[in-house]
Amino acid sequence: MAEVRIDCMYEACPIPLIKALKKLNNMKIGDVLIMETDHSCSITNVIEWAKKQGHEVDYAEVADGEWEIYIEKRR
Amino acid sequence: MSSSKIQELKKNRQLNYKGKKNQLKYGLIFIMIVSFIYLYLFRNNFIYSIIWLLGLFIGFTLQKSRFCFTASFRDPIMVGSTSIFKAVIIAFIISTVGFAIIQYKSLGGNIDTDIMKIPGQIAPVGVHTALGAILFGIGMVIAGGCASGTLMRIGEGFILQLIVLIGFVIGTLLGARHFEFWDKLFISKSPAIYIPHYLGFPLSITIQILVLIILYYIADWYDKNNNMMAM
Repeated sequence: MAEVRIDCMYEACPIPLIKALKKLNNMKIGDVLIMETDHSCSITNVIEWAKKQGHEVDYAEVADGEWEIYIEKRR
Repeated sequence: MSSSKIQELKKNRQLNYKGKKNQLKYGLIFIMIVSFIYLYLFRNNFIYSIIWLLGLFIGFTLQKSRFCFTASFRDPIMVGSTSIFKAVIIAFIISTVGFAIIQYKSLGGNIDTDIMKIPGQIAPVGVHTALGAILFGIGMVIAGGCASGTLMRIGEGFILQLIVLIGFVIGTLLGARHFEFWDKLFISKSPAIYIPHYLGFPLSITIQILVLIILYYIADWYDKNNNMMAM
């Protein structure tokens, strides 16, 4: 399993989502994408999208006002 | 619902996070300033003090609910998700009922009063409405937020949108300066339409709510049947 990290700090919607989509396209099933973001709207935005696509997804606050979103590619 | 891989990553990451900084003193200072402004307004201008409170509550709700007008109109097209769009429709339904009560009371049964005297934003509709909507739509998607969303995110500490706010102020000032030009060109020639004038009060409110409910179901159906940007 590979881990891919993308930096979406200081980027507003919908840039984080587009970045995640482009990265996920080049990943294998079972790989995990880690998104770093400080945009709280991305959490709702990206998580809703990833769930709808059928991926495993979760997030954690890693510092004050900074989050990591984990997406495991499922298909 | 996350997998074991994700759980492990999350656990490792959170071991390094020592928990949030205590922001209690900032909160207390903030509450003091807010109440001071409220008391000042309460003594000098009662209406402003109510608006101040409403503004604070709206800001709080916006931040906690992640309500975003930009996302509500962008996401259906970009990712085929209409959850926020549906929230906007529900908000429209609630405000339709609210405004119906306010306007009904203010009209006092006399439906043919001057449109400008009816409470609410009843403005002339015409080409300028569509043109402005397109311009605003392009702008808000690029900027990542409409007016309320931008302000809410600045308050939250999202620095990027300070630049958006500067642009917003410049745009508003230019708009106010050139308003006369647009007014002569389009706005003054367009009619202001108040549907209850033609259909009566109960019928027009019922139709508006029905249309909104139909839109809600269309949005719900669209969400289930569209997976844009799918892989």
